[in-house]
Amino acid sequence: MYEPVILAQIFWTGVATSAPHVLMTLGFALTLKVTGLWNFAQAGFMAIAFYTMFFALNGLDLPIFVAVLLAIGTTIAASLATEVYGLQVLRERQSGNLMFFIFTLILSQFIMYVITLIFGTEPQTLFKSILSPVQIVGGVAVSDWDLLGVGLMIGGMAALWLFMAFTKEGQFLTAVSDNAKLAELYGISARRSYRVTAVIASLFIVASMYLVGSHGGVVPNSPLELILGAVLGTLLGGIGRVFAAAAASIFLALIQSFSILVLASRWQNLLLYGFLFIAIVVFPRGVRLPKFRFALAGR
Amino acid sequence: MEYLATVTILIAIYVILAASYNLVIGYGGLATVAHPIFFAIGAYVTGLLAIHAGLPPIVCVALGAVAAMVASVLLAASSLRVSGDYLLIASLGFQLGLLQLIRNLEITGGPGGLSNIPSTIVGAARTPTFLAITIGLAVVSVLGIRAIVRGPYGRAITAMRDEELAFTALGRNAMSMKIVIFAVGCGVAGMAGGVYAFYFQYVSPEQFEVLQSAQILTMVVLGGMATAYGPVVGAVLLLAIPQAITFLDLPQNVMAPLQGIIFTVLVLLFLFLRPTGIMGDSDNKPRARASEAA
Amino acid sequence: MTRSLILSRRHLVAGAALTTLAMPGIVRAQAKDPIKLGTAMPLTGSQAGYGADFIVGMRMAAKDVNDAGGIAGRPVEILALDTQADPQLGINAVNRFIGVEKLPMFFIAWSAVVKAVAPVANREKVLAINTGANAPEIAHLGDYVYTAFPLADVDISKLARYTVNTLAKKRAAVLYINNDTGIDAAKIYRENFTAAGGQVVAFEAYDPKATEFTGMLLKTRAANPDMVHVHGLLTDVPQVIAQMRQLGMTQRVSTYSVAYNPKIIEQLGAAAEGLIVTSLAPGVEENPKVAPFIERWKKEIGRAPNGLPYIQYQYDMVLLAKAMYEYLDKAGKPATGDTLIEALNTVKEFALPLTGKLVIDGHRVDKPVYLLTVEKGKFVPLTTLT
Repeated sequence: MYEPVILAQIFWTGVATSAPHVLMTLGFALTLKVTGLWNFAQAGFMAIAFYTMFFALNGLDLPIFVAVLLAIGTTIAASLATEVYGLQVLRERQSGNLMFFIFTLILSQFIMYVITLIFGTEPQTLFKSILSPVQIVGGVAVSDWDLLGVGLMIGGMAALWLFMAFTKEGQFLTAVSDNAKLAELYGISARRSYRVTAVIASLFIVASMYLVGSHGGVVPNSPLELILGAVLGTLLGGIGRVFAAAAASIFLALIQSFSILVLASRWQNLLLYGFLFIAIVVFPRGVRLPKFRFALAGR
Repeated sequence: MEYLATVTILIAIYVILAASYNLVIGYGGLATVAHPIFFAIGAYVTGLLAIHAGLPPIVCVALGAVAAMVASVLLAASSLRVSGDYLLIASLGFQLGLLQLIRNLEITGGPGGLSNIPSTIVGAARTPTFLAITIGLAVVSVLGIRAIVRGPYGRAITAMRDEELAFTALGRNAMSMKIVIFAVGCGVAGMAGGVYAFYFQYVSPEQFEVLQSAQILTMVVLGGMATAYGPVVGAVLLLAIPQAITFLDLPQNVMAPLQGIIFTVLVLLFLFLRPTGIMGDSDNKPRARASEAA
Repeated sequence: MTRSLILSRRHLVAGAALTTLAMPGIVRAQAKDPIKLGTAMPLTGSQAGYGADFIVGMRMAAKDVNDAGGIAGRPVEILALDTQADPQLGINAVNRFIGVEKLPMFFIAWSAVVKAVAPVANREKVLAINTGANAPEIAHLGDYVYTAFPLADVDISKLARYTVNTLAKKRAAVLYINNDTGIDAAKIYRENFTAAGGQVVAFEAYDPKATEFTGMLLKTRAANPDMVHVHGLLTDVPQVIAQMRQLGMTQRVSTYSVAYNPKIIEQLGAAAEGLIVTSLAPGVEENPKVAPFIERWKKEIGRAPNGLPYIQYQYDMVLLAKAMYEYLDKAGKPATGDTLIEALNTVKEFALPLTGKLVIDGHRVDKPVYLLTVEKGKFVPLTTLT
C-alpha cells in the first residue's frame, strides 16, 4: 500500500477532488476578509448556481457554455441582491453579528426550500454520466475532470492574486478589509467593494458547483454540507487570509485522503472535525507559517 | 387522544429548548448554533444510563443535564478566549463533530440510533403523566428564566451583553458570566433531551442536525429574542402550524418545502420589519431591555 | 289545532316514495364505510422518489380491488402520510393513524422509521407491517411489528453463497455505507461468504456523505479481490463504481435491490456492464403479471417505476390486507391489532399477484431471490435463488 505509484495516486486524486472545495473556500474567505461576514447565504447561491446549470442543460438543452454563463448571471444577481437589499440594510441598522448570521442562514434555507419545491429532492447530476475519460500517466489514473478541477483551482487562485495585487479594484478590496472607515476617508467606496466581492465570490461558486455537479449527485441540501468545508478551511487558514484558507483546504483534503493508509475510511470525516477542534483550541488565530504567507500589498 | 398529546409533549419540549436557547442567544448575546447537540447529549446520556445502568429515571435525566452542562462549559471556555464570534463556528464544529462520533460508535447505536430505551411508566397513565411532566418543566423553565433576567443578575446580563467594554471596566467578569449563562442554557436543553429520550424511547443522530438548529433559532427569532414568552409563542407556532397544514389536502411533495418556505419567509420578514419578534417591543430595537421584557 | 295527527294516505305514499328513493342512498352509505389502509412513507426529502412511487403502486391496487367489489363489499382507501424517512415524523404519522384515524394496522418502511414507530405500535397494540426496510433487527422489534418484506438476511446471504458456489469467486471486497442499511448487510455478506468457503479480503465502511472514495478503493485494489460487493444507496453506489473503474479496477461488482434502477445504467454507461443486483420480486420473465403492470404504470405515470420490485410489494400489500380483512369478516371478528395478527398467522400463506407466494414465518418471511445483471446496457435475469 505504500508504493510510490499508490501514494502518487492518492496525492493526485486528493488534490483534484479538493478543487471544488478550494474554490468555495476562496469565495467564502474573500467575503469574510472584505466584509467581515461569515456569509452562510453562499450555500443558497451554490444551490442557485447548480440548479441553473442543471435546468439549462437538461431542461432547456442548452450547450454547456451557455448554461455556465446563465448560472453566472443568476448567481451574481442573487448575491448582489442579497448584498444590496439585505446585508447593506442590516449594516445601516448597525445590526449585531447575530442578525447577520440568522439572515444569511435562513436566506440559504429559503432558497433551498424553493429549489426543493421546483426540482424535487432526487439526486441530480449535470450530465447523464458521471464518468470522464481517463488516461494513465506514469501509473496514475488522471481523468479529464481532475485536470479541469486543478486547472480551475490554479487559474482561480492566480487570477484572484493578480486582481488583488495589481488592479485598483483589488487594492480597494484590501483597503476596505483592513479598515473600512479609513478607506472611506480616502474616497474608496466600501459598498462598491462589497459588491465587487459578491461578484467575485459568485464566479468561484459557479466554478465549484460545475465541478461538484459533474462528478456526483447533488440534492438541494448539498450546499449546506459543502459550505462546512469552506468554513473549516477559512478557520484553519486564519480569518482574513484568503490564500492561506485555500492552502488549508488542500491540506485538509490531503490529510483525509492519506488517512486511509492508517484509518478505516469511515473515520475520514471525523478527522476534519478533529482538526477543527485543534484549530480552535491550539490555533485560534489560524496556523501561521511564515513561509506560506503570500504577499498581498504587504499583508 | 394520543396524537394531540404527543404533539403537545413535543411542543412543551421545544418550549424548553427555545427558552433555554433564548437565554443564551437573546439575553446572553452569545452567538451559537449548537443547541441541539446539548439536547442530544442529554438524550443519549439518559438513554444509555437507562439501558445499561438501570438508574431511576430522574437520576438519568439529571445526569444527562449535567453532562450537557459540562460539555458546554468546555466548549465555551475554549472558544470564548478568542472572541464571541468564534463561539459560533466553534459550536457548529462541535455539534457536527460530536454527531459524527455518535454515528461511528457502536454503543450509541451508530447511525441507526439508540432504540429500546426502557419504559418508565406503562399503561394508560403514561401519556397524561408525561404530558404533566413536560408541561410542568416547560412552565418552570420559562418562569425560571424570566425570574433570572428580571432580577439584579438580569440587569448585569443585559449590561454585559450591550456594553461589554463598560461592563468589564467596572470590574465585572464578562467571561465567567457568559460561561454561566451558556452552562445553564445548555443544561436545561440536556434535561429536555432526557425527558425526550424516555418518552419516545428512541434517539437518532439525524434529529440533532443543523436543520434543528435553524428550527430552534427560528422559534426564538419569531417569538422575540430576549422576551420571556417569545420562545413559547415561537415553539407553538413552529410545531403546531405544520401539523395543522398537513390536515389540508395539499399534494405531499408540495407540503414540506411549502412549510419551509412559509417559515423562512416569516423569519426574513420579521428580521427586517420587526426584529424584536412577535412578543417584543415594536420600537425596532433588536435587543429589549431585560427588565422591561415580559 | 286543526291539523290531523293521523297519517293520511298521502303522507304514507309520500313517505314510502321518499324512503324508496333514499333506500339506495342508505344502502350505499352503509356499504360505503371504507376500509382505510394507512401507509407512512417518505413523500418528500431525499427518499421521496421511492416513497411517492410506493403510494402510487398502492393506489393502483386499491383501484383494482375496488373495481372488483372491494374488501368484503367495502371500498378500500389508501391513507398516505409523509415521514421524510425521518423517525420523528414517522412517529407523528403513526400517532395520527392510531389516534385520529383509529386504524388497527399500518404499513411502514425505512429501517430507522420502523425502529422508531415500533414502541408506539407495541404500546397501542396496533399492527405495524414493514413493507420495504430490510434491517434484520426488524424481526425483533416486538409483538406487534411484522414484516411482509424479506429482511437483509434473506437476499444478501443467498447472494454471498451464490458468489462463492456458482460464480467461483473466492476473494471478496465488501464496501458499505456506514449506516443501518450497510452495516447489517455487510456483516451478513461476510458471514455467509466465509461460511461458503470464501475469504473477505477488504471490509470498508464509507461515510454516507462521502463523495470521494479513492483511498478506500486503492486499499481495496491492493487487497486483490476478485469480486466487489457494494452496499449503499443510489446517492453513492454509482460514484463508488465509477471511481472504481476509473482507477482501473475491472472486478465484477454486486450490489442489492436498490440499484435495480435504470438511472444507474444511465450514470455509469459501460462501467455498469456485469453489475449484479438482487431483486426480491419476480420479474417480467418469471411472472406474467409484471409486464402489463409496467405498461400500465408507464401509461399512467409516463415513465418507468422507481424501484420496481419494491413497488410490486406495495401493490401486493393491499391484497394482503384484503385477505386478512376477509378472514376476519368470515370469522365475524372486528379488526383490531390483535385480530389482524391472528389473521396473519392463521392464513399464513398468501397468494399475491405481483410478488408470488408469501409465507409468514413468525416475524420473518422467506422469499426466492432473483438475480439480474447488466448486459449491453440493460438489466437481464441471471438466476433465481431459493
